[in-house]
Amino acid sequence: MLQRFLDPAVLQGISGLDLVAKTVVDGFVAGLHRSPEFGFSLEFAEYRAYTPGDDLRHVDWNLFARTDRCYLKRYRGETNSQMTLLLDASNSMKFTSHGVTKMDYARYTAASLFYLSLQNQRDPAGLIVFDDEVRNYIRPSTRQGQLYRLLAGLEQAEPAARTDFAKPMQYFQEFLRRRGIVLIVSDFYEQPDKIIRAIEPLRFHGSEVVLFHVLDPEEIKPKLKGPQVLVDLETGDRLEVIPDYVKTQYRAKMDDHLAQMRERTQAAGMGYHLLVTDKPLDRALMEYLTLRHSAIAGAA
Amino acid sequence: MGFLAPWFLAGALAVGLPVFVHLLRRQTTEPRPVSSLMFFERGTQSSVRHRRLRYLLLFTLRTLTVLLLALAFARPYFKHKTVLASDKLLLVAIDDSFSMNAKLGGAGTGTKLDEAKRQAVDVLAHKSAGQKAQVIELAGEMKLLTQPVADAGELRAAVESIQPGDGHATFGELGRGMRAMAETVHTPMELNLFSDMQQSNMPGNFADMVMPGNVDLKLHRIGDVKTAANWTVESVQAPGQLVDTKKARVIAVIAGHGTPAATRVAQLVVNNNVVTTKKVDVPADGRATVVFEGLDVPYGESRCAVRIDSSDAFANDDTRWFAVKRADPERMLFVHRGDDTRSPLYFGAALGAAAQAEFVLQPITPEQASDIDPTKYAFVVLSDVPQIPSILEHTLERNVAAGGNVLVATGLAESHKGAIPVWGGSVQDAHYYAQGGEGYASVGEMDGSHPALKSANGWQGTKFFYAAKVDPGDARVVAKLGDGTPLVMDKQIGEGHVLLFASGLDNVSNDLPLKPAFVAFVDEAAKYLSGEERASGARTVDSFVQLRNPVNGASSQRTTGATVDIIGPDGKRPLSLKEAAAAQSFQLEHSGFYQVHFANGRDALIAVNPDPRESDLATVPDDVLKLWSGAGAAGETKGAEGASQEADNRVSGLWWWVMLLLTITALAEVALASGYLGTQREQP
Repeated sequence: MLQRFLDPAVLQGISGLDLVAKTVVDGFVAGLHRSPEFGFSLEFAEYRAYTPGDDLRHVDWNLFARTDRCYLKRYRGETNSQMTLLLDASNSMKFTSHGVTKMDYARYTAASLFYLSLQNQRDPAGLIVFDDEVRNYIRPSTRQGQLYRLLAGLEQAEPAARTDFAKPMQYFQEFLRRRGIVLIVSDFYEQPDKIIRAIEPLRFHGSEVVLFHVLDPEEIKPKLKGPQVLVDLETGDRLEVIPDYVKTQYRAKMDDHLAQMRERTQAAGMGYHLLVTDKPLDRALMEYLTLRHSAIAGAA
Repeated sequence: MGFLAPWFLAGALAVGLPVFVHLLRRQTTEPRPVSSLMFFERGTQSSVRHRRLRYLLLFTLRTLTVLLLALAFARPYFKHKTVLASDKLLLVAIDDSFSMNAKLGGAGTGTKLDEAKRQAVDVLAHKSAGQKAQVIELAGEMKLLTQPVADAGELRAAVESIQPGDGHATFGELGRGMRAMAETVHTPMELNLFSDMQQSNMPGNFADMVMPGNVDLKLHRIGDVKTAANWTVESVQAPGQLVDTKKARVIAVIAGHGTPAATRVAQLVVNNNVVTTKKVDVPADGRATVVFEGLDVPYGESRCAVRIDSSDAFANDDTRWFAVKRADPERMLFVHRGDDTRSPLYFGAALGAAAQAEFVLQPITPEQASDIDPTKYAFVVLSDVPQIPSILEHTLERNVAAGGNVLVATGLAESHKGAIPVWGGSVQDAHYYAQGGEGYASVGEMDGSHPALKSANGWQGTKFFYAAKVDPGDARVVAKLGDGTPLVMDKQIGEGHVLLFASGLDNVSNDLPLKPAFVAFVDEAAKYLSGEERASGARTVDSFVQLRNPVNGASSQRTTGATVDIIGPDGKRPLSLKEAAAAQSFQLEHSGFYQVHFANGRDALIAVNPDPRESDLATVPDDVLKLWSGAGAAGETKGAEGASQEADNRVSGLWWWVMLLLTITALAEVALASGYLGTQREQP
């Protein structure tokens, strides 16, 4: 029943992003059946013997009282709990073929992640909206009202201008003083090498970087009713193309682009997820969280 | 080329629709926004060429579809010459009737037939090389001398092979023949008729000679329109068989056609010897009768003729043949009851009163007739005898089967309802009309074509007081009484006939013996039963003589093997051995004397003369001929295949072809448009 509300077209009918996020996350979590395998942080992993210099806040005093031995509690992902989401607000995100723009889908995704992080995990979450410049920045925090600030930032993020990863990433590195999770939501209409080159420093900084590649199904398999003049939403350039080219060469190029994005990001130690705007939102979240849990478990 | 509905061509304006769709609407394409042109490549040049080519082809097909649709509704047609000259069948018909033997008037020395053949050959010589032609001989009937061939030599030979004929041609026969031919030959035909256009050749009904629609009739008159004067021996009345030469009379009618009043010399010729000569005054364009008293011929059959000196252009009709057989009176057997003296008296008196008295009656009672050989008698009469000796009955049956004839009269003594001798049936009932209301019965129906009743004239006034009711079976009922009771019946048994008279030959059962008609009846019945009738009388060319009775039932076994023999006027036998063994009749095609040996063993000399109508050389007026020749093209009997005149300018509709082309174009448009739209389908 709740699955129906996770459809992007249905979510579009819900006015507020908070309600959208609540609907998505609550419905999503309710479908997990109390699985212990998911979570951002504060999840117990193991005990480790105390060594001088360790933070005494992590000593399990209860265990010390019972056994007279000093042990530290280890938690999964405790070092990546700060989440910063970078949202691409370029003009290309306005594209849609079925009513839900890529920007809408990105908003829903971001809102759901914020809700999940702040309400469920109590992790700090922040937002950076960018195109060729940084349009908005909300520092990661767990303060009261952080969620609504983030959601308001999402609401205000309207597509404009072109995408340029280099400048926002450079700017972002200045803000990033603590390691955490960096989520980048964009359609990534750029050469994979350039994208990786621009994002890689974040990874070098020690943060966990995950790319959410948002695409409309029409962009993956476009349909043309004959020769058509196409207009680039960002540049305004016009180009006349023929259906035969779209059927064959375009798809090959797009497939190659997606494959390269996946390979390059994984090679750079970053996560990559393709989000197609006609698919239910929870599926994308589940895919991401499942993979992340596996990665954390592997790291531990 | 024309259009039956040209206003529909205005529908061609609808061609503006594809023009709008292809040439105007194409420019209204709106640009489509995309996220990025990163993966797109410009295909403008190649795509425009491709699109233009495809658009032009599609545009052409759609424009063509609209134009063809308008064209189809306009129903185009064109007139064309569908028939080449070589496709027209050339028919050459030559009148070979008796009148064509007349000499051609003017400076010509040959006959009309020679001139007709010359003109026919001339027409055939001018036909095109590949054109087929057929030669027709028109005499008593229409004969096709060749198949439709293009060989000029064969056609010329067929024309040359036509020999002078003695028959009587009718244009009605030609019309019927051409109509029959038109049922199988649907191509146009050109019929060239070479004839003297005799008035007597015209049928009674003009419609009989109208040609079918695909026949173009061209008439070639041989000779002058002016009627040539011609005297002829129109008819000769002479006994076929005579006993007393001094009592015999020969009556000849001399006729003049278009002649002035003149005196002609008539000669009676017997066996090529002129025995009597008489002068006769023939009125202008009239007839005169000349009578030759006595006919002195030797015993046996003599070939006689009446001849005139006409000195006209047509000498072939100046002689008329007749055959006479001189013999002693033949005996006929008259079987009667001993107490019956009336019937032999009346029958003998009537037989003796007949003109030539050729038969001698030999009365006999059944008891005396047991050892009689019926083959020695001309015929046998069983007068009111309920029973005859079985030997005689058996002998009579064999005699009848072999060709003998019997007259059976069932008088009052037959009322015992026993079997009728020789007849093969019995008396079913008896009608005593004397006991009824009027006291008698009259003859209701009578077949005057029967040889025994040709002069009966219905036996008017004859009262029948008694008649036996006999089932006729398969016998021919010649006369019936008023109540439908068969009175005179003729049954064929083998080669012979049994004539049944369902009443008596005396004056008790009827009053016929008291009437003059009885003499004629006895005379004609005697001639019929004796077989003289078959051989005597005037025969005309193209008439048929019956050689044997039709084969039917069990009697066929008895006639097997009986052959006939015919010797024609030229001394040749026209029948082959196979035909002689099976032919039932023979057509007398030439004038002169035919010596015939019939299947029943009898011999006869038959004189055959041309039809006297052929001697009237009056011709058909030109206006009638024009009407006739024009009737072929303007008549109402145009066949389904069309008249030849219309065939020359046939209107061929192109509707079907346009529709076919339209269908092909529409299918091509659908296929091309589908292929074009098919590029939008999703690739798997």
